[in-house]
Formats: sequence, C-alpha cells, structure tokens
Amino acid sequence: MRQAGTYSGILSGGISGKTGPHLLPLARIKKIMKRSGEDVKMISGESPIVFSKACELFIKELTQRSWMVTMQGKRRTLNKEDVASAVMATDLFDFLVNLVSESGNSGEAPPPLELDTFTSS
Amino acid sequence: MEDEIKHGNVTHVPNKGSPESPHVACSDSNHNQNNNNNKEQDRFLPIANVSRILKKVIPSNGKISKDAKETIQECVSEFISFVTGEASDKCQREKRKTINGDDIIWAITTLGFEEYVGPLKLYLTKYREMEGEKLIFPKQQRSDQRRQHSEYEQNIVFNNNNNININTNSNNNVYSSINVYPSFVPSDQPFSLPFSSNSFQKQLQ
Repeated sequence: MRQAGTYSGILSGGISGKTGPHLLPLARIKKIMKRSGEDVKMISGESPIVFSKACELFIKELTQRSWMVTMQGKRRTLNKEDVASAVMATDLFDFLVNLVSESGNSGEAPPPLELDTFTSS
Repeated sequence: MEDEIKHGNVTHVPNKGSPESPHVACSDSNHNQNNNNNKEQDRFLPIANVSRILKKVIPSNGKISKDAKETIQECVSEFISFVTGEASDKCQREKRKTINGDDIIWAITTLGFEEYVGPLKLYLTKYREMEGEKLIFPKQQRSDQRRQHSEYEQNIVFNNNNNININTNSNNNVYSSINVYPSFVPSDQPFSLPFSSNSFQKQLQ
C-alpha cells in the first residue's frame, strides 16, 4: 500500500510497522517511564513520542560505537563485550557502566576481549 | 496506517502481543495482570524493534549476537529511566505534575546528549505539523509532503569524528552538524499535471 511507504522515513514502524507509525511502541515506553520512579505520575502524550526518537538515536549511537570496537578486533559479529567496551570508552554512557559490568562480569572494567566469555555466533 | 492515530494527545499504538491500553494517567488494574505474566518483557522495549534500528547502522554483512542485542535493550531502558528521572525532578522542582516533551528534551540536554536535541526538535515539530495537517489537508497532498520530509530525515546520521559514515541511502548527504534546519530542495519534485492521463485518453477516444 502506498501509505506504508510514505511513512517510512519519519514515523515508520519496524517489524510491526503496520501496527503503528512510530518505530518503538509508545505504550511500552510509557511503562518504562513509570517504572523509573515513584514521582512519575502524569506523562504528556508527546513524551513517549520524543522518547521514541531519542531512543532510536541512542540505539544508533551505542551500536555505532560498539561496532567500531568489533571492527578493531577484526570481527564481523558484534557481541556483548563490544558493547561494554564502547560504554566504558564513552563518558556520555557512564550511567550504563554498572549495567554492562554486572551482566556477567565480576570486575570493575571488563577488558575488551574476554576469551572465556567470547562467543561467536 | 493513519487510521490508527486517534488523537493528538493520547496516541494509541495497537500492539500485536499484549492487550495494552495506553493512557496518560495509569490505572493499574489492567496492568497488574500483564505485569504478572510478562514482567520481564515490560521492562524493555521489544527486541525486534531494537534489532531493526541497530541493523541500520552496521554494514549488511555484519552480525550481532543475541546477548549484544539484549544488552542494548537493557541500556535503552536504562536510558529512558535515567532521562525520565531527571525530567521528573525538574517537574517536581517547578511544582508541575505532568512531564511534557520539553522536559524530556531539557533532561536529555542536561545529561549530555545535546547532539540529539536538534533531530528531536525537528521530529517533534514535524509530528505536531502532521497532527495539525490532518485537520486541514486531504490525504493525497499530505503523502507527497511526507515523502519529501522522509528523504531529508534519512540523511541525518551521526558523525562523531568517526571515519565510518554508514549511510543506507543512495544520495550521500552527510550532515556533520546535527543542528540543521530544513533548507533543502527535494530532488524529485512530484509533478502535478493540470490534467490526468486518464482524462487525456478519454479525449482521444
């Protein structure tokens, strides 16, 4: 249908694109927002839409940086350690440091290549 | 589908999986049932959506492991919580009850993501425009305008002093500064003829 194509640049849906105009589900974004704190009660209708775009930008940046680590290791598969390295290397992602280090690694800063947890898929 | 955009304020995105009914002020009675069943999933954005976005920025022959996708999924949720917390604090300080789009943008700037602000504001403006247009223009004109907008949108990529510019489009316009405002001229302007080809054929007959 022609309409699906015309939406594709800005507001296109993803895999479930036909179910909505945005890349990410607004309802789920709202849920995650509400989980962030007790004080979060009322959210305007625009907020999830802003977040939908912001998350897309965030995912793209995080992935790009992680992919650079992958390429430095001369690999073609981006794995979790690459994401962790990218987080460690970027000041902007400091709030993620605990998140990437607690998922599987015991140390403070996981080394870029950890052979025992390295999986190529 | 346009029909699925119901209102300007509360946008309803029907999800295939769970029977969610999004509304601004949440009454938890419906959500409790969902939370018990798929609590884990509710904490994150769907991995399929996340997957589709991240595939846009790696080469077509690149692959991503499942645990990397899951990690990125978790990071996004953390990002949302982080920004929302900051925006929520601001609202509290200013004694407002509702977090709005500007609060989110402010929080994003404050936390260091100022590069996002340009595209975000653009996106929000376009979204508001489109919501307004629906009231004024018929569908056909809007679809032409959107095609022009979408071509512009796809050209915004990050260029943080990387050597890699991964651009999935045929025309290689890379904007090094994120803060650009539309001063573009669409390359393929749709022609609107005063007569349609159908009417022409009728004349010949």
